[in-house]
Amino acid sequence: MKDKNTNVGSPVSRIDGILKVTGKADYSTDHPVKDPAYAVIFKSTIAAGKIRNIDSVAAEKSPGVLAVITHKNAPKLNTKGGIRGGAMLQSADVLFFGQHIGVVVAETFEQARHAADLVKVEYDQKEAKIDFEKLHRNGVKPKDKEDEKRGDVKVALENAAFKVEETYATPIYHHHPLEPHATIAEWQGENLILYNSAQIVNGAQNAAASTLNLKPENVRIVSPYIGGGFGSKGGQWGNLVLAAVAAKMVKRPVKLALARQQMFNSVGLRQRNYQKVSLAATKDGKLTALVHETATHAAIQDEFVEPCGDCSKIMYDTPNSLITYRVTPMNLILPTYTRGPGKSTGSFALESAMDELAYKIKMDPIEFRLKNEPEKDPSNGKPWSSRKVVECLKEGAKAFGWEKRKMEPMQNVQGNYWVGYGVACGTYPAHQRDSSAIIKLNREGSNVTAIIELAAADLGTGTYTILAQTAADALDLPINKITVRIGDSDLPPAAGSVGSVGATSYANVVNDACMKITDELIARSGKQFFARPTAAQLMVSEKIANIQTRADSKPMESAEQYSSHSFNANFAEVWVNQSTGMVRVKRFLAVTGAGKILNPKTARSQIFGGNVWGIGMALTEESVVDPRFGHFVTRSFADYHVPSNLDIGEMEAIFIKEDDKLANKLGIKGLGEVGIVGVSAAVANAVFNATGKRIRELPILPDKLL
Amino acid sequence: MRPFKYTNAKDVPSALKLAAGNPNARFLAGGTNLLDLMKEDVERPDELIDITRLGLTQIKATGSGGISIGGLGRNTDAANHPLVRQHYPLLSQAILAGASGQIRNMATNGGNLLQRTRCPYFYDVAMPCNKREPGSGCGAMEGINRMHAIFGWSEKCIAVFPSDMAVALAALDAVVKITNASGEERVVDFADFHRLPGDMPEKDTNLSHGDLITSIEIPKNNLADHSYYLKVRDRASYAFALVSVAAAFEMKGNLISKVRIAMGGVAHKPWRAMKAEQMLIGKEPTEANFKLAANAEMADAKPLEHNKFKVELGSRSIVRALQMALNGGKS
Amino acid sequence: MNEDDQSPQLTEDEKKLFEDLMPEDLAEIIDAGVNRRHFLKLMTLTGGGMLAWQSAVAEQVLTRPLAPTPPVTFNPETIENGVNVALKINGAPQKVTVDSRMTLLDTLREKLDLTGSKKGCDHGQCGACTVILDGRRVLSCLTLAASCEGKSVKTIEGIAQGNQLHPVQTAFIKYDGFQCGFCTPGQICSAVALLDEAKNGDASYVTEDLRKKSGPAMLSKEEIRERMSGNICRCGAYPNIVAAIQEVHSGKAVEQNWLLV
Repeated sequence: MKDKNTNVGSPVSRIDGILKVTGKADYSTDHPVKDPAYAVIFKSTIAAGKIRNIDSVAAEKSPGVLAVITHKNAPKLNTKGGIRGGAMLQSADVLFFGQHIGVVVAETFEQARHAADLVKVEYDQKEAKIDFEKLHRNGVKPKDKEDEKRGDVKVALENAAFKVEETYATPIYHHHPLEPHATIAEWQGENLILYNSAQIVNGAQNAAASTLNLKPENVRIVSPYIGGGFGSKGGQWGNLVLAAVAAKMVKRPVKLALARQQMFNSVGLRQRNYQKVSLAATKDGKLTALVHETATHAAIQDEFVEPCGDCSKIMYDTPNSLITYRVTPMNLILPTYTRGPGKSTGSFALESAMDELAYKIKMDPIEFRLKNEPEKDPSNGKPWSSRKVVECLKEGAKAFGWEKRKMEPMQNVQGNYWVGYGVACGTYPAHQRDSSAIIKLNREGSNVTAIIELAAADLGTGTYTILAQTAADALDLPINKITVRIGDSDLPPAAGSVGSVGATSYANVVNDACMKITDELIARSGKQFFARPTAAQLMVSEKIANIQTRADSKPMESAEQYSSHSFNANFAEVWVNQSTGMVRVKRFLAVTGAGKILNPKTARSQIFGGNVWGIGMALTEESVVDPRFGHFVTRSFADYHVPSNLDIGEMEAIFIKEDDKLANKLGIKGLGEVGIVGVSAAVANAVFNATGKRIRELPILPDKLL
Repeated sequence: MRPFKYTNAKDVPSALKLAAGNPNARFLAGGTNLLDLMKEDVERPDELIDITRLGLTQIKATGSGGISIGGLGRNTDAANHPLVRQHYPLLSQAILAGASGQIRNMATNGGNLLQRTRCPYFYDVAMPCNKREPGSGCGAMEGINRMHAIFGWSEKCIAVFPSDMAVALAALDAVVKITNASGEERVVDFADFHRLPGDMPEKDTNLSHGDLITSIEIPKNNLADHSYYLKVRDRASYAFALVSVAAAFEMKGNLISKVRIAMGGVAHKPWRAMKAEQMLIGKEPTEANFKLAANAEMADAKPLEHNKFKVELGSRSIVRALQMALNGGKS
Repeated sequence: MNEDDQSPQLTEDEKKLFEDLMPEDLAEIIDAGVNRRHFLKLMTLTGGGMLAWQSAVAEQVLTRPLAPTPPVTFNPETIENGVNVALKINGAPQKVTVDSRMTLLDTLREKLDLTGSKKGCDHGQCGACTVILDGRRVLSCLTLAASCEGKSVKTIEGIAQGNQLHPVQTAFIKYDGFQCGFCTPGQICSAVALLDEAKNGDASYVTEDLRKKSGPAMLSKEEIRERMSGNICRCGAYPNIVAAIQEVHSGKAVEQNWLLV
């Protein structure tokens, strides 16, 4: 039916697809559990101060209520245990609006939700730091980010033939995976089982154990299916341990799911950024300076700063460069990793500025980028393991019909619409992380089957499928002979599905495990072979019923010598309604150079996903804070507009072939993050090309184009 | 959500009787907004009277050549009924511009008119809101008010009414037929159905407790050839309007002989653009005339800190909707 | 895509594919409920790719019930404002006693072990809880279970006909109409109902001429997009969802490209 070893690279349909289309994939609270109680969190209604009193008498008397847990009766937890954002009922302090201040546990969800409404809280309120517009000027240098300087940008900017110095603003964005964070906590003696979505299975295990003062081996995370994460289920948040605490207190399994409205201030956010980008160029379009200064905010008690300047460090060749960050602590929940952290927002600023400068020089923006293509990584002088930006731009221009673009805006009118084309590039680092995997081979007669086990995560990324493909090829077994078990901390530890390291780390360790078990079978046979036999052949010829081995893989040391990143070029065609200012992205093309494409069907989907996120960033999504109260005015899915189906037009994905064995053994570079990078800039640039209006503050809502 | 008694009404008289017996009871029809608000602890009835089995779903021609739409019929059925599509496409279009396929399958025609505002300060019980809790203040006035009213608001309330369907009904001179708790029937002009906030923003409509909307009637008109419902929103679908316009007119020769314009997303009730209508009577349907009329209407707008754009957007939307109507709904 | 009762004719290639991919425990699988023809159909329909069958996955699919397990008997006195409801779920009559506040969604998930319907927002703003009630797609999160007396509910667990996947389910696999899969049950219920709405000639906001009635509507991509906009997919699988529905609606395969250059 097929040639040998051709699973990898084939558009195999998801092997977990049948579960997902029949409703049988078990997400966190879908796991069957006997006699659960239901927990509902209640939250602070001030942004800063202290809880003076919590009156929970009515709640406790409410029918079905089993417990009301607040800082007054919660067990002492280790607040440095690795749970993000605190809010685990350890003190009376309130640091942001919507902080968890208690949990009601009841026989039913309806009873718990109602009782939570009956709790009355009194506060001693303090003045809160909320208004970023006012506060950002007093930002300080982040703890872990020094200014990065090359050459002299001041002189270069002063002497520039052309320059752009503009500030680009992005709002607070929320991850909003469609599965809100939810947990079933079940104690079995001293052991705790947490059915809980986790992008980093072992990370969740360690954070829960450490916070609850348990040994990791007493905590098991079960997370076979994850209803989206996008960074919000990377680190774990207070709700996870509160579920465990509640289950302990009522001596029953507890289900705790956050309400959608609670997602705004429970599991992090992408912070608001003001990014000033200054570019200088010679009259023939050679960059001479690139300055990227980011002002952002973090939580009062903890710092997280997304690296908006990362793209600017490596995208273009310039002798003078400055990257800085300033951060303002505010009474808002701790920001965290959000799809394409730093790069998606940073590329909006950088790639908008590049477009602005190209327009000033009257140079095609593609030509302008090609002219400033760096031969090696400008930030550290290392050679690229691979970099296909030029191919991305050129192939994309060809496929998209870029030659039809008009240099001047408002030249392409279709009926009541202005039509515009935009381009922007993006990048994301490629890394492999330590991972282990066990492979088990079993034989009955001539039928050999394999089981792959590792604590990996599949949050829709296709992990199950690509690992079955990888193992099938490495063992020379049909893919249906492979069973993949992931998403369980009882399995060998593995990297998280974060920062685009998942596919690289998992596929490499699975491949290593397959190679190792083949070696072990050869050794066990005591024979010499002219041609290397396959594991399946050896199982049969040596009459071995079962065998297993474990591989522990690390990144290649030599990879350190290279700069490894995925790159892309994004092309957008927008139609702007001249009357209403409503923008539609009619066509979008992403051309990506991201190493080996393990499965073009799922890879394409992942790129589309990033693109849709980027379009949402550009056009529809925004979380608005009322500076008087510190609460999110956009407090539900009716106010926070994730793109709907009609917001998305025709999409196309092209992958540039790369054989990058310098990055890692299998030459995989990762797709989950890079897909969003550069997207919002491509859309904003297209809006400029359509309307002549340069929007430097996302999202581009209709009123900005009137 | 507070505990409540669920009662299934068998027929209209028993529904009315049940309601009359309990001032804290509410009728439950589609439930798409009521249950949403009960989960938020904004609505707090102690009894729900299920009225979905009362009938009152029929759509039929009236003796005077208009149409009668059952108060408990579903939005989907109203939008797709051949009589509505043929003679009142503006109404079909407005209904279809609202919510999603699923919600339109649930929501009833009467219930649609009783939607409460989507103002986030109304929805959030941690915030002040005179509509939810009279006397607590208006959170939006000094807060984030991009989505709020530019016409007819008061110091007490700047909320807007979210329905699309009602905007078309306002333009089509509909009347609402109501049976009260004592079984008496009355007919209310659409313009008098919803209220401006004034000093009593807690009252959205002129209904009393126990009133049941039995049907909505639209008189005969000849507006179907030139009508359009335009909805401007922050995403392409499944979002509430920033501004919407229901526009329809009748031509005699080259001149507009009758015109109806109503706006959504700009006031506490569907906003009939009377000034614009008056300016267009007897005029040619040109862009210049549309603009003059639209600007005249919007000249009276009183925008707030974050919604100044609605004045310009409103004006453009009126012009655009009229242009679309002129072209029979095609761009 | 009408099903006929004849066994499909196999090409030599398909036979080989079939042999290669068919699990060893075929008899067991057939007994447990996935028949040979269904399996073959899946494989042949998944186009350029193929459907790999994971034994652990199969086990999970086949051992979980399609119909709800008999509900626990509740003592109505422990339930506030208890309401007895008799309804049909996926064809099977059910009787449940619910707290009047309990939604249909929570009843399915927490009382009847039908966890396929998902709670994405609980306020009618995402579509993940979409089920088909008396033939129409509705949001189970805004439907009180108490109001479902005498009604017929179809959930994702009942979309397949017996052991045969619904064509929409097959197309979602073929076109990769999901990533995380959490919105998928709602998307599929919505899509299945949408196909009927199109057959009825129902209109949408993007329908060109509302006055032109009607007969079965042939839906453009734009129509499918608008009609599916009540189902939010945060992973961004929209283009693939549209392709899947388009294929089932039109009966023609939809081009789905990924270029490698």
